[in-house]
Amino acid sequence: MDQRRRQFEAQALPHLDAAYNLARWLSRSPAEAEDIVQDAMLRAWRAFDGFRGGDIKPWLLAIVRNCWRSASADTRRRKHTALPEEYDEPLLSDEPSPEAAVATASEARRLNEVIALLPNEFREVLILREMEDLSYREIADVTGVPIGTVMSRLARARALLKEKWLRDQT
Amino acid sequence: MSCPELLRTQAYLDGELDGVAAREAERHIETCTECQQTSADTAQLSDAIRSAITPHRAPEALRARVSAALDDEAAPKVLPFKRRNFWYGALSGAGAMAAAASVAFMLVLPPSAETLAQSITDDHTSALTSGNLIQIASSSHHVVKPWFAGKVDVSPPTPDFPDRNFVLTGGRVDQVAGSRAAVVVYKHGRHVIDLFVWPDKGSVLPGNATRHGYHSIFWKSGDLNFAAVSDTERRELEKFVGLIRSSPE
Repeated sequence: MDQRRRQFEAQALPHLDAAYNLARWLSRSPAEAEDIVQDAMLRAWRAFDGFRGGDIKPWLLAIVRNCWRSASADTRRRKHTALPEEYDEPLLSDEPSPEAAVATASEARRLNEVIALLPNEFREVLILREMEDLSYREIADVTGVPIGTVMSRLARARALLKEKWLRDQT
Repeated sequence: MSCPELLRTQAYLDGELDGVAAREAERHIETCTECQQTSADTAQLSDAIRSAITPHRAPEALRARVSAALDDEAAPKVLPFKRRNFWYGALSGAGAMAAAASVAFMLVLPPSAETLAQSITDDHTSALTSGNLIQIASSSHHVVKPWFAGKVDVSPPTPDFPDRNFVLTGGRVDQVAGSRAAVVVYKHGRHVIDLFVWPDKGSVLPGNATRHGYHSIFWKSGDLNFAAVSDTERRELEKFVGLIRSSPE
């Protein structure tokens, strides 16, 4: 295996889970998510010479997002309607930490559904912030919008979640 | 839902503020019931997401697929074979003349890629220190672009990206590799970025380089050579180059 390949694998593969998680939340389909991630990793590999230093994660996630967008454009062209297909899957970790015990299975399921049904532009900033811990700057890079837009979308995403989920809890 | 400081409060909760800005946000939250409610809700949501939702993990099968796809990509294609044939051809019989001629050609080919990288960085730093950085100061591409006409042989792209924090500041004329080059000057925070544009006469461009803390990125597009030079972070400079290359001009 040559030097370039080793470097790519050492830097990019640790983020494969993050890439898949994002693709999965964006596409809402396990099968599509796999195709998106494979496509994204190939594109990243081809573009790797253009990537020098810095944190590779936002760069990689931006490619994943672009692949998802072109894949969903294809899907629309084929006149399929992509339906969320994952709610019958286990949503909880197999080994919940003691802290996690507060969330019952049904609460978790409900939260999962509410997030999955958020409009794309709100869902993506929420996933990148709350699950991938990206900074505003990094989210702006991944989604290709100014930081101000990231901030207002994040606020809107949280307000929607609060409205649809949090208020049910109390 | 009307506190005008809501986004600042959120930025504080997300750990985006520090120092004075963070203390200001804290002081505001102490006095604003709406922002207190937002803080509580945001924390509760964040906890719920982190505890109730397990991020999806890439299946093993996907790892294998990616690895196989990379193997396919990395498999040697025609290029190395061709190159070897060239040298075999070049060194055999009649080819020797051609080889000698091409060595002579390389010797007279001005300037080498390395010299070019150095001269671009030198141009940038001397312009910074001499006060001759900007000969035409304007943030309007309607002003900067026409200014180059008649001064250089090229018409450089002069897009402006204020929302990405790459702000068109002006332009000057400089020398690169014996040609007059248009230099479009941008500000990125406190950093200056010089975008050199000069006619491509077939010279070899250097790889991306870092000299004395200044990064440079070179590329060709159409019949023009481009170089971006700055002391900003390399990643930022790459972003800038990406924006320039994808701008419609």
